[in-house]
Amino acid sequence: MSANARGPVEALKGLVRRQYFWGIVAVALLLLVNLVKDPGYLAVSIGPSGNLAGNVIDILRAAAPVILIAVGMCLVVATGGIDLSVGSVMVVAGAVSMEFLKDAPDTVGSTFTALALVIAVSAALGAVNGVLVSVVGLQPFISTLVIMLAGRGLAKVITGGQNTAATNETFRWIANGYVFGLPVVFLLALLVAVGVGLLVRRSALGLMLEAIGMDAKAARLAGVNRRALLFTVYIFGGVLAGFAGVFATASVMTVDVSRTGYQLELDAILAVVIGGTSLAGGKFNITGAVVGAILIATLDKTVVFLGVSSSATPAFKAIVIVALCLLQSERVRRVFRQRRAAGTARPAEREVVAA
Amino acid sequence: MSAKQRIVQGLGLATAGALALGLTACGGGEGGDDDGLTTIGFVAVGPEGAWREANEANIQDTFTEDAGYELKYAPATNLDQKSQIDAFTSFVDEGVDVILLSATEATGWEDSLKRAQEAEIPVILLDRGIEPDDTDLYVTRIAPDNIEVSTAVADWAVSAFPDGANYFVLEGPAGVSVVNERNEGFDAVVGGQPSLVKVGAQTANWSTEEAKGVVETVLKSNNNDVQFIFAQNDEMGLGAVQAVQEAGLTPGVDVKIATIDGTKNALTALAAGELSFVAEYNPLFGETTLEVVEQVLNGDDVESSIVVPSATFDSPEAAETALPDRKF
Amino acid sequence: MPESLPIVEMVGISISFPGVKALDDVGFRLFPGEVHSLMGENGAGKSTLIKALTGVYKIDEGEIRIAGEPRRLGGTADAQSAGISTVYQEVNLCSNLTIGENVMLGHEIKGAAGINWRATHRAARETLEKLGLGHLDPKQSLATLPLAVQQLVAISRSMVAKSKVLILDEPTSSLDANEVEQLFTVIRRLRDQGVAILFVSHFLDQVYAISDRLTVLRNGRFEGEYRTEELDRARLIATMIGKDIATLKSLDAKASRRVRSDEPPLYSAKGIGRKGAISEVDIDLHRGEVVGLAGLLGSGRTELARLIYGADRPDSGEVTLDGEKAEITTPAKALARHIALSSENRRDEGIIRDLSVRENLVLAVQARRGWARPLPRREQDALVEKYIAALGVRPADPERPIRLLSGGNQQKVLLGRWLATEPELLILDEPTRGIDVGAKAEIQEYVAALADDGLAVVFISSELEEVVRQSDRIIVLKDRRKIAEIEGGHGVSADSIVTIIAEDALGDERADAVVREEVTS
Repeated sequence: MSANARGPVEALKGLVRRQYFWGIVAVALLLLVNLVKDPGYLAVSIGPSGNLAGNVIDILRAAAPVILIAVGMCLVVATGGIDLSVGSVMVVAGAVSMEFLKDAPDTVGSTFTALALVIAVSAALGAVNGVLVSVVGLQPFISTLVIMLAGRGLAKVITGGQNTAATNETFRWIANGYVFGLPVVFLLALLVAVGVGLLVRRSALGLMLEAIGMDAKAARLAGVNRRALLFTVYIFGGVLAGFAGVFATASVMTVDVSRTGYQLELDAILAVVIGGTSLAGGKFNITGAVVGAILIATLDKTVVFLGVSSSATPAFKAIVIVALCLLQSERVRRVFRQRRAAGTARPAEREVVAA
Repeated sequence: MSAKQRIVQGLGLATAGALALGLTACGGGEGGDDDGLTTIGFVAVGPEGAWREANEANIQDTFTEDAGYELKYAPATNLDQKSQIDAFTSFVDEGVDVILLSATEATGWEDSLKRAQEAEIPVILLDRGIEPDDTDLYVTRIAPDNIEVSTAVADWAVSAFPDGANYFVLEGPAGVSVVNERNEGFDAVVGGQPSLVKVGAQTANWSTEEAKGVVETVLKSNNNDVQFIFAQNDEMGLGAVQAVQEAGLTPGVDVKIATIDGTKNALTALAAGELSFVAEYNPLFGETTLEVVEQVLNGDDVESSIVVPSATFDSPEAAETALPDRKF
Repeated sequence: MPESLPIVEMVGISISFPGVKALDDVGFRLFPGEVHSLMGENGAGKSTLIKALTGVYKIDEGEIRIAGEPRRLGGTADAQSAGISTVYQEVNLCSNLTIGENVMLGHEIKGAAGINWRATHRAARETLEKLGLGHLDPKQSLATLPLAVQQLVAISRSMVAKSKVLILDEPTSSLDANEVEQLFTVIRRLRDQGVAILFVSHFLDQVYAISDRLTVLRNGRFEGEYRTEELDRARLIATMIGKDIATLKSLDAKASRRVRSDEPPLYSAKGIGRKGAISEVDIDLHRGEVVGLAGLLGSGRTELARLIYGADRPDSGEVTLDGEKAEITTPAKALARHIALSSENRRDEGIIRDLSVRENLVLAVQARRGWARPLPRREQDALVEKYIAALGVRPADPERPIRLLSGGNQQKVLLGRWLATEPELLILDEPTRGIDVGAKAEIQEYVAALADDGLAVVFISSELEEVVRQSDRIIVLKDRRKIAEIEGGHGVSADSIVTIIAEDALGDERADAVVREEVTS
């Protein structure tokens, strides 16, 4: 996080060293491929209602829910945990808001009530995860798996098994509206990511989460309140997932109990990993998670834009991701470095014994 | 570690408990023959979506005691085939008169069906087929025909676009038999029309939200030059409607959208002119099933495959007429 | 024995790291059938030399000859194929496998249908028997065994690999006396079978008990090679730290002289205890006083320390701080009341490996402030600078990950972590274990100075001499209870504490309890 005031070249070098650098490269390459197919791909025009429109804008909008859950997941992963329940929390949040809005008047007030309900419900689900992990002491994988399985069932109960649709202009605006010509969802997601980024780095939260993730026992003995922090992190992850659920359902004003948020926990985990946060916990990188989320959205959009056939889609995505992970892998990078350096430079950091 | 074991044990206990409850429920009907009722065992799929709900509710509403039947409804737990096989086996052991089966998975039914055959219990497949499709193992399969339904969409498309059109297909998950059949029926007709040009096909996993995202990009990559979208289910069609609207086009005018299933939501959209054609995949086959069961019990021969007739709706007016009676 | 050909010969070895010359023209010889101790303070270059020999580091200059042949060791695999095996301080075994599987890992006996497990286990048993470990069941899971036995398993494994050279890096740092003896028996057997053993330990007693020869390094340079009997301890230490013997003597002779004040205790516990850990104990701790907890491994000394700190929740007893009732049930609560504990388990409960020196040092202070009130970077830097200077942490680079520091320097950073919380009561559990003589002396001096400044200090060490030297008052523990409390000073020695423990055992009419306790600990 040390600010690079030494000029653009240094800043660029610093960026290259970051793990998520390769995520940015991958996004650029995908955009390039699209550009080859259609030279107008990157064009952003003023749309029918005076807003910006274009493929890039679509990507940003599609990335928004993934950014939210990736940010939450990033914090959970930093503590050495994992949250498999985000997809299910999304569908429950969607179900709650749709069921409420279905019978509520189409007013701004209803939107806020719906959002309040979403916060309450998703925080409650996050709290269940938090209690299971921090108080009961279950493994995060198991605890959140419980909510993952139960959550979708809960959503079905809430909607009575239906894919409930509703109308509410304000609620719909959250996912489809624009501010300053940019999609509201993206701005909100970015706001959350920047806010969380500042919060964890400006306060001591980041240090404490990392300490817990790296060595829970040592952190506890150093007086870190592991229990309360874990509890908070899971609740926070739940609320972010709830909002992601709002984004997803508000987009079409329908909650699809079997599809909304389905397997999105995997996207979130992937985004976090692409961003350079180790699943083993410890050092984490919010910016990286955002880059990862944007990459996933770009990938999804590219598949459709190129017209890759449905059956080849998973393979296409897998190849891109595997290639990216290879580029990020320390070992592969070392091979590249050694080739480039051709014996002139020594590895920068070694286990040096105190002299 | 031990916590994990505890969970697993807990789940195991819960399952055992559920099974025990199920068994006692089944056991209660031993004396079915005494009160003159015909016992039907229904190995069902359970909660899966609106279509399935309508389908199974319809079966349950048909085989009532007033009609002279006792229906034992056994939905699968979490779409798990094992729970279906268990239910099937206990129906055989109990000696019900007829078994109705909607299999969650197509394969792995040979042994169970043979047991039923040995016990001389006729088995009727509802909706879902089995693999390998050995017609000796069951009496008949009652289902709407995906190929027939998608052919209806294709026929409508051909007549709706006499001057030709660019079209895009929103598919279900790749590799699923329903998707293959719906493609097959549609392509057989449309493939012979050079004026209908396919600009692409993508899965949107039956989801409204994903369909919206896909169509949004498809419209951009084709500069909005798409006149027809075939959505293989209603939900995806409704997503396409929204994407078309977001792009500043008018669904039903600039882009016509046809869907399959015929849910209430889709007919509402059709009535509003947002969708242009809805082909029903009829879930209501209680009546047909009742007739077949009676024939089987009388010892009559039945066809090994019975198609449930499905309706199509091609205008807002047709949708409005149908809407008040829609069950799903 | 040294007159045969050396199996390992290292000549003129130099290795530099950016800014540091870790090894400078060092020579080293190792003969078959000898135990050779590599001596030196931390930072003297012992680890670097070992890593050069095991192929972890590339040498800049010099030559390594194995059995007379010059070899380039490009990695650990090269070293292993040259017959060099290493058993590290932290055992590198798969704890989820059985003893036999660990011993034979990579050398399983293959049959027609994959691995022949029966034959593999038989081979494992034979190997174990050869080393006098026939009592171990190859089918037992490794995870259930004490660390000491795991280490023996690790050694057995290197024998399966038919190693001619065995490197033991701090193998005894977490073993008790009985386990050390067991280890030494195995080492002697191996030596008699002609294996060359390179031994590294900070315990001088052990070095003298097992070694045939010594090589001393200081500041990355070769100081000399000696037969063990020609170099007495005082001269060895003097050679290692480059100070004259008189200075050392004065440090050693410094007797405790603080007198307990008459004011009421800072910390007082009545009947504090926890089921299965330690039975009810009364304990008073005064400002300006060092209280030693003495006892064998497993006597309950660590458990008592953890109860005082709230690391484990006491299930009985009452605690008062300055006469007021206090609830200390978590470390966070203890820190809030200015109580700090430095754990005996530096690696797992002390340092956080991947955090920097600075982050490790400020962690406890920050935790007490809470996450919402971050310590400003300027204050962090000031704090870190202060303790790096005061404790002589080397290298003095706050942003270096702590895992790259030597054990002694890690311990100093941890000491800094606790001192930064401005404790009134500081509990130090084995603060000097596994660190070199120089750092040890520095830490001991620092502890004494802290008590002079008015801190209440609890000092725990498995070296009784050290406890005696540091403490004004000693609480003797045995079988998870307090058996005596004695004033320190003249007339108290390690022997007198051992006598107390032994007499207590006799009093229980269990004359062999001491031994058994060590075995079961």
